[in-house]
Amino acid sequence: MSHAWLSSPILAQLNSGVIVIDDEYQIHYLNAFIERHASVQLSEVQGKSIFSVFADLPEAWLKRKLMSVLDLNTPAFSSWEQRQYIFKLPHLRPITSSSQYMAQNCSMLPLVSDQTDQPLICILIEDATDAFVYQQHLSKTLIELERANRQDGLTKVLNRRYWEEQLKQEIHRAQRYHHPLSLILFDLDKFKDLNDKYGHLGGDFVLIQLASFISSLLRDSDLFGRYGGEEFGIILPDTGLEGAVEVAERICQAVAEYPMLFNQQTIRASISMGVAELLPKQHLLHDDVIRCADMALYNAKRAGRNRVCSYLAGETEYQKKVN
Amino acid sequence: MSTLGFSEEQRDCLQEIINVAMGLASDKLARFLNTFVHLQVPSIALVGASHIPAEFENRYQDTEAALVSQGFFGNEGVRGEAIVLYQMENAHKISALLGYEVGDVSEIEMLTDISSILTTTFLNGLADQIENSLSYSAPRVLSSVKGDMSSLLRNTSFHWEHALKVDISYQLVDHSFNCDMILLIPGEAVTNIQRILDRILEDY
Amino acid sequence: MALPVLICDDSLLARKQVRKSLPESFDAEFQTAGNGLEALTILRAQEIGLVFLDLTMPELDGIGVLEAIKAESIDCFVIVISADIQPEMKKRVMELGALAFIHKPVNEDKLHSILKQYGLI
Repeated sequence: MSHAWLSSPILAQLNSGVIVIDDEYQIHYLNAFIERHASVQLSEVQGKSIFSVFADLPEAWLKRKLMSVLDLNTPAFSSWEQRQYIFKLPHLRPITSSSQYMAQNCSMLPLVSDQTDQPLICILIEDATDAFVYQQHLSKTLIELERANRQDGLTKVLNRRYWEEQLKQEIHRAQRYHHPLSLILFDLDKFKDLNDKYGHLGGDFVLIQLASFISSLLRDSDLFGRYGGEEFGIILPDTGLEGAVEVAERICQAVAEYPMLFNQQTIRASISMGVAELLPKQHLLHDDVIRCADMALYNAKRAGRNRVCSYLAGETEYQKKVN
Repeated sequence: MSTLGFSEEQRDCLQEIINVAMGLASDKLARFLNTFVHLQVPSIALVGASHIPAEFENRYQDTEAALVSQGFFGNEGVRGEAIVLYQMENAHKISALLGYEVGDVSEIEMLTDISSILTTTFLNGLADQIENSLSYSAPRVLSSVKGDMSSLLRNTSFHWEHALKVDISYQLVDHSFNCDMILLIPGEAVTNIQRILDRILEDY
Repeated sequence: MALPVLICDDSLLARKQVRKSLPESFDAEFQTAGNGLEALTILRAQEIGLVFLDLTMPELDGIGVLEAIKAESIDCFVIVISADIQPEMKKRVMELGALAFIHKPVNEDKLHSILKQYGLI
């Protein structure tokens, strides 16, 4: 028994588009899926060029694909991942997708027909909108995940692990291109007292406020991270010691003049800052630069806090005596 | 070529069919690209799929390389996955020949197009000779990242028992283009292929 | 009288295919060679009327065989049957004195018409 009668109802029910064209791009057939989605009638478009019926087609691109199908007698493919759609058709999920057009996987297949000697191509169009939507959610989630992975949860500046990675890279870059590089380490003065007076919520509030305030004072290229507890670090690419000290002085002063309102109380805080410049011959590891900045920070504390100290070349230990 | 249960006659038959398929593919490609394509006789080997990563990791480890996979299936239980491996610099050469311009299409689309053309022209030539016909799934790019070729090959070849390696070297007039093609086939497909080869051998 | 014919191809299948493609009326005495060196040994020792020659073979390829035939003035017809379809290769083969260049897989009609053209059938 012949099953030929089956093809017609199946083509009408098929949840994929089927378009058959010849080697002059004229439409021989399209199924109900295409008729309904594109609002065309086979009887009206039969014999017309596919490029005139679907005016939005990427003509040069599609012709090259179709040419390879005809010349090589092999199939050609297009995936929504590279080209979201070929035929601009609306999809049926208007709310879940950010795109208004159906994402498509298309196959272009050489057809052999016993009816005609003219070469034919069957274009199969599968709706891939679901995959497209999932992919979009996934990429969005991945971006968020990556951000979370490098952000400090409380203050939203870089976390220590990521900040240290950046420091290593910046040191590498500075050494390779002979650019200056400076580092600021700073510490919130008497943070324990703040916590005692305003509670841990108050302490956290101060950290969040200051981190955000100091971020606003920095250049885009500066890398601001939380080193631990109430200690932070700022990497200043392309900046020598003098420039870094200037930045630090400015921040130090601005923080001291920055009132923070917490539970109807004004909190004032100050910071002590240590500045060090990368010395290419001495600082081989990122730890070495951190150690120098830390020494300077210690000296700033010892010198009475709310100030900036810079590391002097040759200094090898913490000053025992405050100047 | 390790025989993997293939008799010398079957091996000879397969090699000849592949040679001719290459010739047919090169003829089509030459006409399509409007340039002259020379195909060297591909060397073939049938190996356990688990050996594939080790075989190729050296060649592709320190270079930017791409791996494109495309499934094929035909009558009489002929089915498998064709993998085309190439170094990206080679891919750029052929993309220029195919008429792609930089920024014209994405690199991934270019790779899938090239691979699909190479794979399907070759496999169609092969299928014609054994009086079979093949359908293909859409090609997928599995990687174009530096250094992780062996793990990708491991993951890809994991599901298959056997691999038919076909070293392909395309030389075009002013360019040369090398790539490797691996046909990964399931165990029962080997038996099916042997049956087909035997039938061809009986005919002659 | 049967024509002494040499079929030279490294593939057994290909040798069988050539033989099968020949018309039944073709009266020939067949010998086979698996590479160019084997072919030359036979060509130097015996009178061979017609050679079906593959190009890509181990030891000595078809081009090498054609060159030797030319250099040593061995008297025989050569029809090249190859999967290697380069136009340049065809040109070279014809320059070296081959009667014809046939693509694999062998098209019987083409082969027969060539044999007819040269009065071999």
